[in-house]
Amino acid sequence: MIEIIFESIPSFWPEITLSLTFVISMIVEFIVGGKGKKSTGMTTGLIVLLGFTVTILQMPFQDLEPRLLFGTMITLDPFAAFFKYLIVAAGIIVIVFSMQSHEVRRQETVGEFFCFIAAMTFGMFLMAGASNLLMIYLSIELVSLSSYILAGFSKKLKRSGEAALKYVLFGGAASGVMLYGMSLLYGLTGALDIYSIQSTLAAGMVVDVHDWSFVVLMLSIIMILVGFGYKISAVPFHFWTPDVYEGAPVSVTAYLSVASKAAGFAVMVRFFYVAFFDSVLDLGKWGSLPLVDWNMIIALLSVLTMTLGNVVAIWQDNLKRMLAYSSIAHAGYIMMGLVVMSDLGLTAMLAYFVIYFFMNLGAFYIVMSVADRIGSEHIDDYRGLGKRAPVIGVGFSIFLVSLTGLPPLAGFIGKWMLFSAVIEAHYIWLAVIGVLNSAISLYYYARVFRNMYLREPLNGDESPITFSPLVIVITILFIIPNIIFGVYFGPLISYAQRSVELFLQ
Amino acid sequence: MVPIHYYLILSAVMFITGVVGVLTRRNAIIIFMCIELMLNSVNLTFVAFSAYLGNETGQMFVFFIMAVAAAEAAVGLAIVIALFRNRQTVNINDVNILRW
Amino acid sequence: MSSELIVFLILAAVGVLSGILMITRPNPVNSALFLILNFMALAGLYITLHAQFVAIIQILVYAGAIMVLVLFVIMLLNLEDEEPLREQMSKRHYGSLLVALLALVLIVQVIGWNSGGTLETMREQSPHALRIGTVEHIGSVLFTEHVYPFELTSILLLAAIVGAIVMAKKRFP
Repeated sequence: MIEIIFESIPSFWPEITLSLTFVISMIVEFIVGGKGKKSTGMTTGLIVLLGFTVTILQMPFQDLEPRLLFGTMITLDPFAAFFKYLIVAAGIIVIVFSMQSHEVRRQETVGEFFCFIAAMTFGMFLMAGASNLLMIYLSIELVSLSSYILAGFSKKLKRSGEAALKYVLFGGAASGVMLYGMSLLYGLTGALDIYSIQSTLAAGMVVDVHDWSFVVLMLSIIMILVGFGYKISAVPFHFWTPDVYEGAPVSVTAYLSVASKAAGFAVMVRFFYVAFFDSVLDLGKWGSLPLVDWNMIIALLSVLTMTLGNVVAIWQDNLKRMLAYSSIAHAGYIMMGLVVMSDLGLTAMLAYFVIYFFMNLGAFYIVMSVADRIGSEHIDDYRGLGKRAPVIGVGFSIFLVSLTGLPPLAGFIGKWMLFSAVIEAHYIWLAVIGVLNSAISLYYYARVFRNMYLREPLNGDESPITFSPLVIVITILFIIPNIIFGVYFGPLISYAQRSVELFLQ
Repeated sequence: MVPIHYYLILSAVMFITGVVGVLTRRNAIIIFMCIELMLNSVNLTFVAFSAYLGNETGQMFVFFIMAVAAAEAAVGLAIVIALFRNRQTVNINDVNILRW
Repeated sequence: MSSELIVFLILAAVGVLSGILMITRPNPVNSALFLILNFMALAGLYITLHAQFVAIIQILVYAGAIMVLVLFVIMLLNLEDEEPLREQMSKRHYGSLLVALLALVLIVQVIGWNSGGTLETMREQSPHALRIGTVEHIGSVLFTEHVYPFELTSILLLAAIVGAIVMAKKRFP
């Protein structure tokens, strides 16, 4: 038994580096930021940044031959590696954002802020590979616990404490429901690792379709879906999202909306794909679960999620809150890839994540920089911004157009791949609803353009707003991929195709 | 002997009691306690299945749930204290600046 | 009626009643005390399932540590009674009704297990049940198959401890 542990460690270096980063940064913060000393927390931030950089440099040297680590706890395969790259890259960017953010730097506990980013990243790495119900639960909880604390980090702001409370209550209840589902699934199959669950269900010994235990199985899956739905903020489990996204510091919001969502999707895809797909018989159908059309259930969830996100976003005047609803809507689009769990659907999903990464982080970066400069996130304070700060204005427009999904920007390619994947599987109505939703989203994004370019500033102040050169450079760095992936997307798609390979037993 | 259904029904009843509590109570600390009740009914299901299946992994899960519940209670109560310092309330009806 | 069934029924009645009282008492301290009673009943049920170690941990960790923390916070904040449920019921009427309905469905389904399937075979505890609840067996499984989750828990607890301090501490002077 002990040999398994030693055999697993060489494949586990990135995770080990991350956990060491967390612990070391905690110790350093304890020494540097001791009582009475004035600490800016930047030392800790740099250590975490260094740890993340080491992690990302270690990953290309990993042997990605799909295999299991620590018994059946964690799976290593190209699919997990894809999400790990995405997560740690987002982590690095968020650390850079946070180091600039006034909202974060004002806190006395900036150092711990970076430690929790490290803990959260570590948890999301485990989520990307978790292949045992126990690991799924523990990694989700590690991410949740760190994000509860990060959401409530601006302690002096009333909305922040409130966001944290709503998050912790909602998260606790959702994980309770998910655990109940897991316990029923364990009772029916007698196993916790998803490979044994798959083989037991596929053998058809445990669950007879004509029998009540089948209903119990359905119930347990729906309950587990609640836990995942909460993590990816799918409607109807999205209630925490707008409040938390608005109350948390912007850099945390950006991290939650990109990395945490990606990790949630990773764990959800792995769980459903491995446990309930009879991969031999009929690809794209939930082979182990007859009678109920699960594709249709996911499709309905996806439609609900994107429609509600887009429609409610129309009334939002706070840009952070508007982007929160927009990110709910994007979860809906991404779920379209899950509806058809074919390789095509999953490829589209992965490619969309890369594009979403650039456009969403860029948009949040602009909101953060502007809030630091003029102290407001309200849409009326963006009036005339296009003239007062040209680069920022152009950058924000590009990110929003990309989020809408108009050509020739990257967002268009992402949406186009998703829509073609669902059309391929004969869900034409779903693609139509997706297109209609993009049209709705254009409406509220256009409100921002109108305020930035066509309306006079609120108090007639037309003096230019200067941003530091660093802000301008970072904005341009985010603009470039949004344009490049719009016209030159071949490598992105082929990388996504290579990453679809999931470990199956 | 007691068949497993008895344990399962008991845990279902307790779980639902917890859910009803979460939905009806307004005091954040009591909501935390209701979540603990939900987690405990999950633990009962796991232990019962573990005993009837003769398989120890269910009991393992229970230990981890307990550890996480302790961690979550600590963080949650700390958040409640931070909120109380700011707002002098723990009633989640009073906590509603952020609405859609 | 066998003695095992009688013990089960008594413990189950205590568990359900204390749970219901917990969610209906307006005073948070009363609620917390009923929850502790519920945990005691659960510990008894774990003994009937031959899970001795879980039962002890239940008392030590849940009743002994978590609930003490909860009670401590309630007293620290010096909370008043919540307004009685009867008066707020009108608003939450529909939600609760829905949940009660769901509960009914759930329980009917669980009872439905009587009608066949895998669980039909689970009439009696497995002969292994006596062995797997012991500290010895649990220790050997925890530190071999589950050693990684165990280590992960330490990271999780560290994050939670520091997080609780960060959230709850007052500003530095």
